[in-house]
Parts: sequence; structure tokens; C-alpha cells
Amino acid sequence: MSAEIAAAPPDRARRRPRSRWVAPYTFLLPAGILFIAFLAIPMVYALYLSFRGLRVTGDGPFGVQEETWVGLSNYVATFTDPEFLAGFGRLAIYGAIAVPVTLGLALTFALLLDLPRVRGARFARTAIFIPYAVPGVIASLLWGFLYLPSTSPANWLLGQLGLPELTVLDGGILFGSVANIAIWSGVGFNMIIIYTSLRGIPGDVYEAARIDGASEWDIAYRIKIPLVGPALVLTGLFALIGTLQVYGEPTTLRPMTNAISQTWVPLMKIYRDAFVRDDLSLAAASSVVLALGTLVLSVLLLRITQKRTFGES
Amino acid sequence: MRRRILAVAALSVAGLTLAACSSDGAEGAEEDQSTPDGPITLDYWAWGTAQQPMVEAWNEAHPDVQVVHTDAGGGGDSSAKLVTATRAENAPDVAIVEYNTLPAMIVAGVAADISEYTGDLENEYAPGVWSQATFDGASYGVPQDAGPMALTYNQARFDELGVEVPTTWAEFAEAAEAVREADPDTYITTFAPAEFGGFAGLAQQAGAEWWTVEGDTWTVGIDSDASLEVADYWQDLIDRDLVLAEPLLTPEWNAALNAGEILSWPAGLWAAGVLNGIAEPMAGDWAMAPLPQWEEGNPSVAFQGGSAVVVTTSAEYPEIAAEFAAWMGASDEAAAIQIEQGQYPASLAGQELTLESDPPLLMPQQEDYWAVAAEIAANTVPEISWGPNVNVASSAFQDAMSAAVQNGTPLREALATTHEAVVEDMETAGFTVATD
Repeated sequence: MSAEIAAAPPDRARRRPRSRWVAPYTFLLPAGILFIAFLAIPMVYALYLSFRGLRVTGDGPFGVQEETWVGLSNYVATFTDPEFLAGFGRLAIYGAIAVPVTLGLALTFALLLDLPRVRGARFARTAIFIPYAVPGVIASLLWGFLYLPSTSPANWLLGQLGLPELTVLDGGILFGSVANIAIWSGVGFNMIIIYTSLRGIPGDVYEAARIDGASEWDIAYRIKIPLVGPALVLTGLFALIGTLQVYGEPTTLRPMTNAISQTWVPLMKIYRDAFVRDDLSLAAASSVVLALGTLVLSVLLLRITQKRTFGES
Repeated sequence: MRRRILAVAALSVAGLTLAACSSDGAEGAEEDQSTPDGPITLDYWAWGTAQQPMVEAWNEAHPDVQVVHTDAGGGGDSSAKLVTATRAENAPDVAIVEYNTLPAMIVAGVAADISEYTGDLENEYAPGVWSQATFDGASYGVPQDAGPMALTYNQARFDELGVEVPTTWAEFAEAAEAVREADPDTYITTFAPAEFGGFAGLAQQAGAEWWTVEGDTWTVGIDSDASLEVADYWQDLIDRDLVLAEPLLTPEWNAALNAGEILSWPAGLWAAGVLNGIAEPMAGDWAMAPLPQWEEGNPSVAFQGGSAVVVTTSAEYPEIAAEFAAWMGASDEAAAIQIEQGQYPASLAGQELTLESDPPLLMPQQEDYWAVAAEIAANTVPEISWGPNVNVASSAFQDAMSAAVQNGTPLREALATTHEAVVEDMETAGFTVATD
């Protein structure tokens, strides 16, 4: 590029390319500054912290701790901590429930709302979307009350019918209970994305299908779903990242049950290390591992789905 | 110290008048870190309902030293934020720290040594209380409230079921059985696996020393015989379904408590205030008795909770900050406000003041509440020392105990797991730990 400019003939021709350079960078500047200040610098700092650690330096039983280089020991501690790895195991079970159910329900609702002559669509859309507007912690508290045996209306009903009480904050069903909160909040948001994408499909495609004798079921299955593929990949990616970042629901439910430990999912362990155990460095190392893991999984997901949904591009 | 403060006050009034005319005040010439030029502001982090009225009372009486109170969350949260804020160099000047997290605050460089300012403040406290904020001969805080352990119980339900209030833990187990027999929906108490402080208190009552330090060498005693016996005691009650093994203060627990299905809570004296918050309509049904004893005739109990006012290493005027801390901890005015709000003051004068006060709201009928409290407070375990990583112990304990209760594995093993985690953490951090 610079060679072109240097070779370009004098005056006018020289001024134009420069202004062409200035404008886009000026527009990029605010975003760039914010990105550097609030994303790039913290990331580099976390990386730096992950190689450091607090060690007692002074004498005496209350020797004050100071930060020093500790090499890879935080990473060794992260990978050898069975609880961190077990956290990923629990995350996998949680994700296996939350992701397909959220996406399945969102797609179903979007397709139903997109049917011709559907009644009460506006109301239904808002009703499905509203849980997304409830902050996660409040949603978890609400569900917590519904889950606890003596405050649960479901258990009251079961009791009236003479049936045994349900305990949903224990054992295997616990995963379903935690996932349920995320599903309840997430379906609306994902439904809107898929629905918006459905509305973007030109009507003549359906018209052609109907002339060819396709039923609504055929249209949904053979036209709508393939055409909203990109939206499904996008929501899938959000759901995957959301799963890896699960924190609020189990943390809010934790005081209500013995079954959720402080290291139930990786982010909870990172929080505990940083703010309960005062080991920011270990937390930084675990965060780096979690971030890299998320990146690898996201790239894999995109690789696998891209060819199918976006064709050859 | 008081005279000095008065002098500072006089100077600062003069400074104010002068500062109105010119920017360089009269005493600006002598630059001294410990004596400010004019009225100063102290930042103070504390939780609980008693703090704001106490701060207001101080501010009214000390126009030259104005205190700004911030509630930075309860014990654990507040301490975590103090560490972060100290590293970021924007910590408050003064803060409340729970006794058991104080060592961690010293090691993290948050709490400052205020021995040179405390003078004979020590005489205002029972030795067991003062020692909670003294480490290695240095004072790091002024005790404010104390939580000697007691048994807060539902007297009405005990009477209804015809069960005597137990005075030893052996009797407590029998009473637990009697309660279950009298009403199968009811439990005498809860064993909350996440209650680190409560369990530590019971173990200390049984003679366990979870941390001791001699010279530079720490000894950890979390899996000592005394602690293991306490674990076995509760194990037996859980195995026989005589206590409820559930977390405390959940909506579930609160509902059961209000329904009269949970009859007691062995905890610090502050329990009456906490229970009143969730079971106000039950006022008059509850009462407080001394904690059951492990050996008959030994009334010593440990503390659960309670906190000290700490001057931070970030304080610009440590001497003035220490004066404020002393007032918050040991003055009669502050103690009166604490009592009103349901805290049990740490100072002797404050504890004496309780004897003239009404019983807490939860037990208006118990005339001798404060007399019983004073007797309990007079018989605390003499020396309790907490280690530099109580935070690690507490979090390891919570997870190990909850998992043990959840999976039906022995509580003993959970204690051993906690012990290992604590020793490992201390060794990693570079402390010398004795191997037993």
C-alpha cells in the first residue's frame, strides 16, 4: 500500500488516500480504546498474574506475604486439582441438558409463532421473552423457593394428594433443577433470534412450496429450519459459552442445599480461589485455562457447523 | 491520648478560621504525618445494624474527625474486599474484622499493629476477649462485640413436648431422642455442615486447638482427637436421625423453625437477634440457656463470631484512627447502642451495662437473660488462636462436611480432608508447619 502511495503522482492523488485512512481509524478509536482498556490489558494482566503467587517473605509466624514469580506452579495446581476437573464433568452434564433443551424449545416456539394465522402471537412472544428480563440471581432465588420442599407449591399439592414429597436439590435431578433455571431464562432470548431470522425469509419461498403441495410441517422441516441454520449456530455458540460460564444459578442455590459445593463448576472454583482463599494467581491460571478451553470449543463448533450451514463460503 | 486529640481539635478550629482567609494555615509549617492540618475524614467499613447509629454518635461528638461509614458486606465479603482494596491502595482507614479472619488480615497486610496507641485499653476487657485481637504480643484491633456460645431454644415447644433443657451434650443426645419420640416431625436442632464457626466453637469447647504457634512454627489441630470426638458425636446423632443435617437459615429451615419443628440453635449470643429477624411472631416462646457441656461441671465455652475494630495499614492518621477504634470498641456510648441493636459488647463495662437492659426482643419474658449471658461470658475458653488461613479452612470445611453429609461418609474423614487442605495451603504459602 505504502509503495503505491509513494509511487502515486503529486498533490490531489496523495491527499485522498490519506483521508481514506483517517476516517475509519477515527471511527474505530473509541471501540479500540475500550477494547484495550477493558479487555486486552486485563487479559494480559491475568496472564501475568497466573505466573505469580503470594509467598511468605518476612520472618515470624505472621510474616507478611509478598508476590513473587512462581513459574508454572499455578498451572500445575489447576490441572492436578481433581475438583477443577470434576467441575468440568458436572458442567458437561449440565450442558447436555441445558443446551439442547433451550435450543429445542426456542426453535419450537419460534416456528409456532411463525405459523400463518396464529392467534395471540404478540402476547405469546412477550410472555416467552419476559423471563429473560428477570435478573439471573432473582430467577435463581425464585426457583429456589419453588424447589425447597416446605416452600414448594408442587410439594404442597403432592402432599394433598397423599403422594411422597419431591426433593429436587439432591442427587442426579439436581442437574436438571439448575439447568431448568437457565432454560427458563434463556429460551425467550434464543427464540427471538431464531424468530427474527424466520421473519427474514422471503414469503415467495413459502408460496412456491405451498403451490407444490407442501404441508406446514414440510415447510418447517425442509425450508424454515435449514434457512435459519446460521441463527441456530449463533444461538448454539451463545449457549455453549453460556454453559462454560455457569456461575449465578448454582451459587445462588448453594446455601439452600448440601449438594452444591463451592467448586461445583469451574467458575465457582475460580471465584473461591480468588476471593475466599485470596489466591488471585491460581484463579488467574484457572481462568486462562477456562478461556482457552472455551476458545477451542467455540472454534471446533464453528468448524463443524460452518460447512453445513454456510455452504462453501 | 485524649488531651492530644483535644489539642488537635483546637488547632483544627483555628485552622478552619485561618483557612477561610488564606490557603496556608498557621500549623502548615510543621509537616507531621500523624497530626492533620484540619478536620479529617476517616473511612470505616462495617456491617450490622449497630454501626450506623454508632458512627453518627461519634460524628456528633467529634466535629474534627468525621467518619464515613460504608457497609461492604458481612464478615467474609468485607474481608475479601479489604484485601483487594489494600492491594489497590484504596482501603478504608478503619474496618470491622471478625476475630477468626484477623490473622489472615494481618498476613495479607491489611491490619496494622496498633500496640503503641492502645495504652491500657487491655484492662477494659476480659483476657480471653482481648487476646482474640492480639497476636505474637502485638495488638491488631479493639474488640467490639463478642459471641460466647449459648443454647437458644424454643422454650414453649420444649415444655409442650415435656423435654428438659439439657446441660451436658450427653443429655442433649437423650433430649434429641425424646423430642423425636414425642413428635416425629420435630428435631431438637440442626447440624449444618457449612457452619465452620459453630463447629470450631464446639471443638474448642471440647479442648481442641485448631491452630497454635510457637516461635515461627505453626501446629494445626483440626483433626486432633478432641475435634474428632465432636465429629463422632454429631455423626451418631445424624446416623440415628436425631438431628436435621441441613443448611441453616434457608427458606426451608426458616419455615421449619417457625412451624416449631426445629427447637434449638447452639450458637453465639447473637443468635437471638438473627432468629428474631426470621421468627418475630415467636417472640416470648424462645429463651437462652448456657451451652451444654462436654464434661459435667466445666462451663467453659468458646466464641462463635464477634469482631474487632481494626486500623488498616492504609490509614493516613493511624493514631486518630486508633482513637476512633477505641471509642467504637470500648466506650459506654457505643456499647449502649450495640446492646440496643442486639449485639453483645466485648468490653467489661459494656457487658455490665447489659445487666440494666431489657432482654432481647425474641425473649421478652426471660428476665435473667443478661445475667445468664454475663455468666457465660465470664467462663470462656481462655486462649483461642486462629491461623493465617482460616478462609481456606472454612471453605474446605464447608465443602468436605457438606459432601460427607450428602454422601453419608464419615464426618471424621471430612475433618481430615480439611486438615490436609489447611496444612498444604500453609506450606505452599511458605509457613513453617509442624508435622505431627
